[in-house]
Amino acid sequence: MVNKKVLGLIVVVILVAAVAVAALQMNLFQPAPSAEARPIKIGLVACYNKAEGQDMDRAAKLAVEEINAAGGIYVSEWHTKVPIELVEVNTEDDTPAKAVSPVTQAVTETGVDLLIGGYTSAGTLANQVVAIEHRVPYIITGASSNLVTRRGPQANYGGLPEGDTRRIDDAEGMSYMFHYCTTTGDYSKTVVNFFAEKMKPLLDDEFGFAESRKLRLAILYRDDAFGKGVVSDSKSLIQSNNLPIEVVAERAYPTTATTFQTDLTAVKAAKPDAVYVVDFIANTAEIIKEGQRDVGLNTVYIAVECCEDPQFYTLLGNYGDKQLLESKFAPYAGPPYYLPMITTYVASYQQKYNTLPGMMGADTYDAFYIAKDAIERAGSVDKAKVRDALESTAMDQMLIMTQTGKIQFSTGTNYHEISAVTFIEQLVWNATLGECRSVIVYPETAPVVGTLKQADFVLPEGYQPGST
Amino acid sequence: MFTLSGIVETLLWGVANGCIYILLATGLNIIFGVMKLVNFAHGQLLMIGAYVAFVASTALGLNAYLAILVAMGAVAVIGIGLERFTFRKVLGTDKLNEIFVSLGLIYVFENAAILLWGNDSQRIVSPYESLRLSLGEVAIGYDRIFGVLIVIAILIALFLLMKKTKIGLAMRATSQKSDTSMLMGINIEKVYIFTFALGAALAGVAGALYGIIFPFNPYIGALPTIKAFAIIILGGLGSIPGAVVGGLLYGIAENTAVYFLGGIWQDAIAFALLIAVLVLRPTGLFGEKGE
Repeated sequence: MVNKKVLGLIVVVILVAAVAVAALQMNLFQPAPSAEARPIKIGLVACYNKAEGQDMDRAAKLAVEEINAAGGIYVSEWHTKVPIELVEVNTEDDTPAKAVSPVTQAVTETGVDLLIGGYTSAGTLANQVVAIEHRVPYIITGASSNLVTRRGPQANYGGLPEGDTRRIDDAEGMSYMFHYCTTTGDYSKTVVNFFAEKMKPLLDDEFGFAESRKLRLAILYRDDAFGKGVVSDSKSLIQSNNLPIEVVAERAYPTTATTFQTDLTAVKAAKPDAVYVVDFIANTAEIIKEGQRDVGLNTVYIAVECCEDPQFYTLLGNYGDKQLLESKFAPYAGPPYYLPMITTYVASYQQKYNTLPGMMGADTYDAFYIAKDAIERAGSVDKAKVRDALESTAMDQMLIMTQTGKIQFSTGTNYHEISAVTFIEQLVWNATLGECRSVIVYPETAPVVGTLKQADFVLPEGYQPGST
Repeated sequence: MFTLSGIVETLLWGVANGCIYILLATGLNIIFGVMKLVNFAHGQLLMIGAYVAFVASTALGLNAYLAILVAMGAVAVIGIGLERFTFRKVLGTDKLNEIFVSLGLIYVFENAAILLWGNDSQRIVSPYESLRLSLGEVAIGYDRIFGVLIVIAILIALFLLMKKTKIGLAMRATSQKSDTSMLMGINIEKVYIFTFALGAALAGVAGALYGIIFPFNPYIGALPTIKAFAIIILGGLGSIPGAVVGGLLYGIAENTAVYFLGGIWQDAIAFALLIAVLVLRPTGLFGEKGE
């Protein structure tokens, strides 16, 4: 009798369990999706007519398609997954005059939930004010001036003096800004360390220079926050680390300039061992070409990472041979790549757009996944909750390498920044392809990833060092 | 640290750049002199010239220097269209009308160029791109030398046109007194069409040369227009020799400023030169002798 009771109980338990499992599988306990559920509007702030902006747009579309194909972003508050609606925020040439109104429109009329992008430092410093005022989370993937996150009280105003109009006293508003991009300080550090550790010893060996001779560096830069930031950071790094580098020429040109022979002629007169070019794609390629072709300045030119784009390689042609590029994403240096995810990304991008991706798009692609992760953890599109979730992001690195292998936004003086790994690539002319490809020459290794270097740095053919 | 060879090269860059300014300023000056029309969209004709030459050299595979002829012809035709369908309607009415038509045309041309070609920089690839003429430590690219020679040839042709042909005589007469010219049997509508086409053609050649020497994008027209106005004021309104001397002075001044002071001084010094000339000689260098 007892056995029958026990048996009956067991049968009942099994039946209840079976029903419960079936109900779970059929989502019978899941509340119905909220009536408030709607697509999440993410604005991509970019110059859509420029190569960098097109790369950002393509990368964004790729990420959005992937995320939406997997059902979208799960918003627990709405009990459902919702798709991303990509909103185009076109800042045209990204001058401060043109960069603000499209962001205002996206924030106040379209009602974006979050902003991703930004291109020039000047344009982003201008348009982020709208996002700060309206408390819209902004993952800035472009501007490299650290002021985009350090102009508020959290970072002691980034050292800006009292009365400087760039300072923003709105601490809460500033907390909605997240910088998923290297700063001018990050890549200046890599560049000057490369010159001190790799190029100077090579020149000493090759040309019999005394160890006391400093490497002669010329800096040619656009006269804006970006250019000035690089010059200031490079010089202070050289000084504070007592590096064997002497800045022998330092020349700014207006942002409207399209030709540089005269500046290059003056740089040549200073007899540099290397020229650090701080500008975007078109001007950097033009400077490297004019320097060699028109002025006969046969030296080592180094470009900054925003030039990591197919257009840069096309514009340079064979003038890029053995020239250098500081970067944090190297689609031209593989396959195989230092991160497996880059292989997948490059293949998807090439299949969809029939071209290699650029660096600006890589940051953008990652940022969409960072946004997805934050919204899912926030369980809401409430901007304050998303802001909090972004602040506690701890994802594995994606296309951009970080020092810890994790995507995490800092607090403190380096407010809401990531710690990306940057490196130096050397371009090598490939006659078969009719275009340069690149190899990573510095540093040897990267944290978490391990070996990074693919080849030794070599001097360009016909290279002429500066004065002895 | 400056070198003698650097200074000489800077002067050569200045002459070469000045030649492009000369073409643009001369075209603007002819239109102003004959039609009394102020066309702020003249620099956009330079930009269109650069793109036409670019398309001719890339899509049609023409030599960059043959593409100059295509640009010259195409921009002249665009000039005829502009004169016939826009400026003629407002010519002789309030001056503000002409100004606003030309300001509107700036945006029409720029946006059309962005739609057609995007706003990334382009360059016309010359077969002589990598060739340089070396004289000791001084070297200058063949393209710049060819550019200077082409401008000299055009200026000689222009001089002959103005002095030795009937249309040149008609243009000079119209520039002095259009009403009297009409009474003397000159068809000033035809003179206006020819004048505008000629001015536009010069801008087209300037654009093609610009595209061979410099990278260009849809926005390049604005600054050269201002410079061209500065040059014709510097040289003297309506004076072709003034535009030539003014263009050379302007090109040399801005390049010398870049060499000695840095790129950010380029425009400041060149415009300071303009102010200095106007203070000392308000009619410009050749204002009183202008033709």
